[in-house]
Amino acid sequence: MRYEAGSVVRHRRHRGRVRRCARPARPGGRAVRRRRAEAHQRRFPRRQQAGLGPCGRSRHVTGILEQYGYGELSVTVTVHGTQITNVSVPVLRTAEPYSQQLAAQVLPMLKSEVLAAHSARINTVSGATYTSQAYADSIQSALDKLHLK
Amino acid sequence: MGTVFSFAIVTGTLAEAAVRAAIASACGILHRCDAVFSTWDGTSPVSRFRRGEATLSQMPPEFHQVIEECRAAKRASDGWFDPWAMPGGFDPTGLVKGWATERALGVLRDTGVPGALINGGGDVAAFGSPANGQQWRVGIRHPWRPDALAGIVETSAAVATSGCYERGPHLIDPRTGQAASCAASATVTGPSLTLADALATGVAVGGDEALPAVSRLAGYAAYLIRADGSETSTGGIEFVR
Repeated sequence: MRYEAGSVVRHRRHRGRVRRCARPARPGGRAVRRRRAEAHQRRFPRRQQAGLGPCGRSRHVTGILEQYGYGELSVTVTVHGTQITNVSVPVLRTAEPYSQQLAAQVLPMLKSEVLAAHSARINTVSGATYTSQAYADSIQSALDKLHLK
Repeated sequence: MGTVFSFAIVTGTLAEAAVRAAIASACGILHRCDAVFSTWDGTSPVSRFRRGEATLSQMPPEFHQVIEECRAAKRASDGWFDPWAMPGGFDPTGLVKGWATERALGVLRDTGVPGALINGGGDVAAFGSPANGQQWRVGIRHPWRPDALAGIVETSAAVATSGCYERGPHLIDPRTGQAASCAASATVTGPSLTLADALATGVAVGGDEALPAVSRLAGYAAYLIRADGSETSTGGIEFVR
């Protein structure tokens, strides 16, 4: 799985903000919506699900155990309305310790809120001490260049 | 110190020559601190002190000031920042960069400019305002995405961040003297970058156990991203995004 720069994963830290469904309601009563949902399910069957809930309640969807080359993992995605609110890895079995170590670094990327630095209005970046070499590639370096123009 | 210092100065009515002179003076302080405290330079005062080749009375005034700051920071951090527990002897590296940056900022403050900010390799000290009474906006680097931020805080003073994603596992657990299991990222905000730098080091090592010490300090707050990607903060961290 890869996250592109600029993607934003909504995070629980936005306290107090009421989540509303992103999709507007389509015309038709409850029966019509149920028939539509059943038709959708027949066309796009899910491997496992906790059942469709009304918009506003969380659903958990777990994929099957997949072999990814260095071991196997399955991923559970929690969806609230149409927004992914959490991703977790209930099963991760790796062939050897190096892969486990790599996985420990890669998996947390799925959870933390990601803000694209280029679209944020900031004066500077605070981070762990970068080397002079790493500075060249850093966001701070880009900011400094902007100000020097 | 093996890193890069960035300056942002709101010049106000100050002439350019005066600003450049102030920057040169500030850089002089940074170079002087590097000369005294570099543990990579075997001939530096701190290296000679660590090897027992020089006594405390032979150390320059900066060294004495830093020792006092380290004593205060060790107390304030409940021992999670402890330069005396480092391998090879007393090692104030976890505090020196913040201290040097704060002293350099003092030179800029003395010029009377309306605002200035120095970023020393990721530790930020500032005063005044970038523009129109706003506060300085500091992005916190995302620990696993070099092109992204984990959050943005506003500051009128200091923001320090410690973590292992740039230099690998280099932090020592003061309880064991061995390499610490490091948090992904530990950020501390507060009035003094010297103390914030030391506290961030302590929180990176101590994780949740080090947070109560920060909570007890008036004006200081911490934001912790654990190695598994979960996050927490003490009261007082105000994210603007």
